Amino acid sequence: MSDVVDVATGLEFFITGLGKGSVYALIAVGFALIYKVTGVLNFAQGWFAALFGLLPVVLSTSLVVSFEISPLVAVAITVFAGLLLGLVLEFGIFRFFIGEPVLSVIVVTLALVASIEGIVQYLVGPGYRAYPEAVLPDWTVPLALGVELQGPFALAIVFAVATVAALMAFFRYTVMGSILRAAASDQQAAMVLGVSIERTIVVAWAISLTITSIGGVLFAMSTSGWSFAPYTNIGILVFAAVVLGGIDSIPGAFIGAITIGVIEELGTGYLDPVVAPGFGTVLPMLFLLVIILVLPYGLFGTERIERL
Amino acid sequence: MRGAEGEPPVVALDNAEIVYDRHFLAVQGVSLEAHRGEIVALLGPNGAGKSTILKMISGIGQTERGEVTRGSVSFEGDDVTNAKTTPMVDRGVTHILEGRRVFEDLTVEENLRCGLYRGGRRLRSKKSDYELAFEYFPQLEDLLDVNAGYTSGGEQQMLVIARALIHRPNLLLLDEPSLGLAPKLVEDIFETMREINKNEDITMIVADQNAKETLEIADHGYVLEGGQIELSGPADELVDREEIKEFYLGAGGDESQYSEVRHYKIRKRYN
Repeated sequence: MSDVVDVATGLEFFITGLGKGSVYALIAVGFALIYKVTGVLNFAQGWFAALFGLLPVVLSTSLVVSFEISPLVAVAITVFAGLLLGLVLEFGIFRFFIGEPVLSVIVVTLALVASIEGIVQYLVGPGYRAYPEAVLPDWTVPLALGVELQGPFALAIVFAVATVAALMAFFRYTVMGSILRAAASDQQAAMVLGVSIERTIVVAWAISLTITSIGGVLFAMSTSGWSFAPYTNIGILVFAAVVLGGIDSIPGAFIGAITIGVIEELGTGYLDPVVAPGFGTVLPMLFLLVIILVLPYGLFGTERIERL
Repeated sequence: MRGAEGEPPVVALDNAEIVYDRHFLAVQGVSLEAHRGEIVALLGPNGAGKSTILKMISGIGQTERGEVTRGSVSFEGDDVTNAKTTPMVDRGVTHILEGRRVFEDLTVEENLRCGLYRGGRRLRSKKSDYELAFEYFPQLEDLLDVNAGYTSGGEQQMLVIARALIHRPNLLLLDEPSLGLAPKLVEDIFETMREINKNEDITMIVADQNAKETLEIADHGYVLEGGQIELSGPADELVDREEIKEFYLGAGGDESQYSEVRHYKIRKRYN
């Protein structure tokens, strides 16, 4: 019967990988979206996700008010916060960089990384903060061979697939989508057709952080609480996922993230005991190295990258 | 005849000086007018200031740190000196930038679709969306699903003109529409521009190095050199001027500066 057990274990690794990959996908798609529309590599995307993951902790354990909120309400509140933060960042910071070299904007995102890290460490500390019971999904999805999919991962898969499908339809079939792509392809040529570059950038940041917020809060749920360190790891893995997918491709970011998630989980499950603890996290990076050597534009990237 | 009596010119530059980045003087003391229904030609070699003038009319020059530092630009009688692109687009100015700037990774149809909106609002017309474009450029109809980056140079030039046409401008600024195209194609495209100008009542300013083709469709022409107007007049008169022939068709002398050619001619005439 040991064969069945092995298959079940493998399936469990794989399913967890899919779930984690979907969490990464939500953050990675946000990253790819900003790159696609504005040409900016936002290295702070994972750190933003950390902020969103922290939000339910703040809401439910505050000294002044504390809420008993269900998982989906927590997601809804975070989504709203994501939209808000997207707008604040655009109007407060990135608006002033329109027309400036893309490199300086990228440096600004690195500054954001350091700022968020510092401020959060100062206010909350590096420790683990458990989510209240009420916020955590109390259900799992039973699959074959007795394997179960955790609630947060199930939500992540649903949200990730829905978001990617919605975004692809948005870019392909709506006028706003065409205009965003046009502005990304040639700003001046779009401007002389009356496209407001400011508006396209606002839309990109708002949608991006809205999606990322879902990833941030679901990741915390999957570990039943929040701590800072895993998010910095996610920040790097997500970059790998996006590069794997081709940087400017939404479905590419999704597939890249799923791939990274599955490889990480299988690596952790099978290779950590053999090689060294933590090897699973390194494995996606090794995989990325090989892929980029073979396919310089990633899996689905536009074969013309000028903005870097 | 230049425009209807009493109507202000669609565009007028009055003694305009244009400076890039606060230091680089690109255009100096240029005055020109384009009246309703006209095609105005801006001629001259690279760096003469043709593109700069178009860019300051459409406002896009500001994204390149261009500024009108002296004189004025007016549109339909209103002062629009250093106006931004968005208000100029709202007033009906559409600029076709140099170099066939199609949105490469969008399909031809998506490119055209971007022309259907102005000031965030959908443009409505009696004709169906792209009918107007296909009327003048029927080739585009077969290319709707093709990525614009994969179409030929001629098709891209047609696409950017069609995209601008759907945008229903009052004033169309065309920068080097003949650049890098085969002579026969240039002839066809310029002929189509003339038809559009006549049938759709769109005033045009065409900046091009191809003096012969441009003057053929233009009503009025200005010849620029080193940021200043060297010569201007009705197109049919300009076309016969010896200076134009010599400078553009290379018939006689190896002088590279237009002004030298002219001075040489003048000297010769009076000696």
